[in-house]
Amino acid sequence: MQGWRKRRGLVAAGAVGAALSLALTACSGGGSGSSANGNVTLTYLTHWGPDQVKQLQTVASAFHSKNPKVTIKVQAVPFANLLSTLQTQGSSPTGPTIASIYDLWLPGLIKSGALAKAPSDVASSVKSDWPSNLADDVSSNGDVYGVPNEVDLYALNYNKALFAKAGIANPPTTWDELKADAKKLTDKSAGQQGFGLITNWAAGAVHPFLSLAASNGGSFLKPDKSAADLTSSNDEAAADLYAQLVKDGSTVPSMSAANADTTGPYLDNFANGKTGMIIMANWWESALKKTMGAKASDIATAPVPVGPDGQKSSSISYSWLTVVNGHATSDTQKAAWSFLQFLNGPTSGKTGSSAMGDMLMDQGILPSRTSDLTAHQTELSDPFIKTYVDELPNATPFPVTAGGAQASDALQTHVENLIFGRESPSKAMSGAETEVNAALKAAQ
Amino acid sequence: MDRRPLATTVFLSPALLLIGLFVLVPMVLTFWISLHSGGMATPLSDMPWVGLQNFRDVFASPTHQQAFINTGIYVAISLVITVPLALVIGMLVYQPRLRGSALLRTILFAAYVIPTVAIVIVWSQLYSPQYGPIDTALHGLGLPSPAWLSDPNSALISLVIFNVWQMLGYYVVLLVAGLTQIPADVHEAALLDGAGTIREAFSVTIPLLKNSLVFVALMTVINSIQVFDPVYLLTQGGPANSTLSVSFDIQRTVVQYGLAGQASAMAASMLVLIMIIGGAIAVVLRRRSA
Repeated sequence: MQGWRKRRGLVAAGAVGAALSLALTACSGGGSGSSANGNVTLTYLTHWGPDQVKQLQTVASAFHSKNPKVTIKVQAVPFANLLSTLQTQGSSPTGPTIASIYDLWLPGLIKSGALAKAPSDVASSVKSDWPSNLADDVSSNGDVYGVPNEVDLYALNYNKALFAKAGIANPPTTWDELKADAKKLTDKSAGQQGFGLITNWAAGAVHPFLSLAASNGGSFLKPDKSAADLTSSNDEAAADLYAQLVKDGSTVPSMSAANADTTGPYLDNFANGKTGMIIMANWWESALKKTMGAKASDIATAPVPVGPDGQKSSSISYSWLTVVNGHATSDTQKAAWSFLQFLNGPTSGKTGSSAMGDMLMDQGILPSRTSDLTAHQTELSDPFIKTYVDELPNATPFPVTAGGAQASDALQTHVENLIFGRESPSKAMSGAETEVNAALKAAQ
Repeated sequence: MDRRPLATTVFLSPALLLIGLFVLVPMVLTFWISLHSGGMATPLSDMPWVGLQNFRDVFASPTHQQAFINTGIYVAISLVITVPLALVIGMLVYQPRLRGSALLRTILFAAYVIPTVAIVIVWSQLYSPQYGPIDTALHGLGLPSPAWLSDPNSALISLVIFNVWQMLGYYVVLLVAGLTQIPADVHEAALLDGAGTIREAFSVTIPLLKNSLVFVALMTVINSIQVFDPVYLLTQGGPANSTLSVSFDIQRTVVQYGLAGQASAMAASMLVLIMIIGGAIAVVLRRRSA
């Protein structure tokens, strides 16, 4: 009996020990870091799909052949999980070494100490090889924190076949033309709306709205980014436009939903010819082609229509950048910046383009490096993308500031309340301004 | 009387250590962080003290208020639909003369064991206004169809329907287990006394099933309060914050906005709320038993 009790105790102790060992192993983190013999393993965190991951691996292999001590692994997660993965794993030295991030996340990540400052050679390259507004976007207090890659902006996407059917010769250039054309394109019996909006997704709801506001001389925040500017008459006019489109029946709110992966009914409705026009970003060209097939040739683009108080069309723009883990060892950081120089440099791609530029163009996304725009001049003359390229100089960058994400979500809520008739235009804008100001204050 | 306190302590300590490490410590830390400000990656030692400011900010914010209201409505509707429905189905499935009741229970329970991610993908197609079979069936019958997840007036109830569908089988199995505990002679006595099926159900079965019903109700409340997956995968809290739940709001506040203090204040508030609800239910039941 005593022997059995002793055995039970030993078994119990062994089980606890095994459990603790397993727990410690699980907590030991990812696969980045340097080893005693100078070999370095980098992890590149991205939200791109399988095809782009393969392309990245090819570039990584090319870099490895020139730098045998550096190995790069690519880790892909869905867009919705990208920031949370970075937040949870990025504070560890063995977490992702390089990450592709949305510029709106930059201030928060810098504040938390998650990012490394670029060394002087990389910083000089960013300032000389990229447009100054993009170099500013990846900087804070004069320090560069990343390498810009894609730049995105918005344009009016319209269905030429539906336009022809409705007897409309050209896309609208003003808000009055937009309202009139949207009415002509609306056919309730066929479940067709003239002008589509997007809900359930912050960028989809906010950026087209702010593009229309900017094309009417309005803005999201005051020039010093300290407070919102949504109750200006220019911005309220954009809210009135939305309310009018819904009231006319030209916009059907229930056709606007987006899923967590940024596809969903709003895209299906446009692709299936149930929406005449929509304001969307350049990067959705590949999603449109995939969904529409041969019918994608029916889609054309035009500048965002100008409001009654606007001087010119101005789309909201934003960018992505690649950053380096601020907690990684100095050897690992050095290797990471070296790889980013290669990935974004003019020798890694075809005919003077960087490999990053080639990968972006494959997806219909605009590269931002000056030499990449030159190298891809022919492709950038494609009618769909040309509108975006032409409008780039006029674009209004979405303000990158602490609290920007929460401010954007606050505006999204009130824009959606406006679309669904839960708030009047003036109430939506004043409610949004109050919450945006609270968000900016909370982030200080 | 325990004559071996040392042995008891030694053998309980691994489990207590794990519970303390993975349950109590995070709870205490959450309360601590709720009184400070900082992001997810900010070291605890670098977080400045802000006292109750995070709680004030949470309860003053229309967005966070909406999250609490939405969660309350979600829980209430889930409770009102799930418990009676599980009871009715449980009593039907428990009928001794019903053939295939084991198969039926298995099918009902299958929805509970399938990963939520897979079910969400299926339901996003079911709810699709363009391709969804639900809308197609309704139109075929000449009935109007709601916009489901695309309309703030119907999005929350759409998530409730999903939740009820997913959890029903689990609660049915729990109630069937409770029904097996009722002695057969009690039913026979009721029959002999002239009670019909409905009278027997209300006067005999349901009172004797009280403990199982309370457990199912509590589980429904706890499960519903924590709703996150369908919101995260289907609606991201929209449209117009109509499906914003406290769990999703907490995740968004800490990950997207980097406000760990506010997120912890919400989590702490939620814990206190659950304790109050649980305590209220316990007090009411104790009074009824007395």
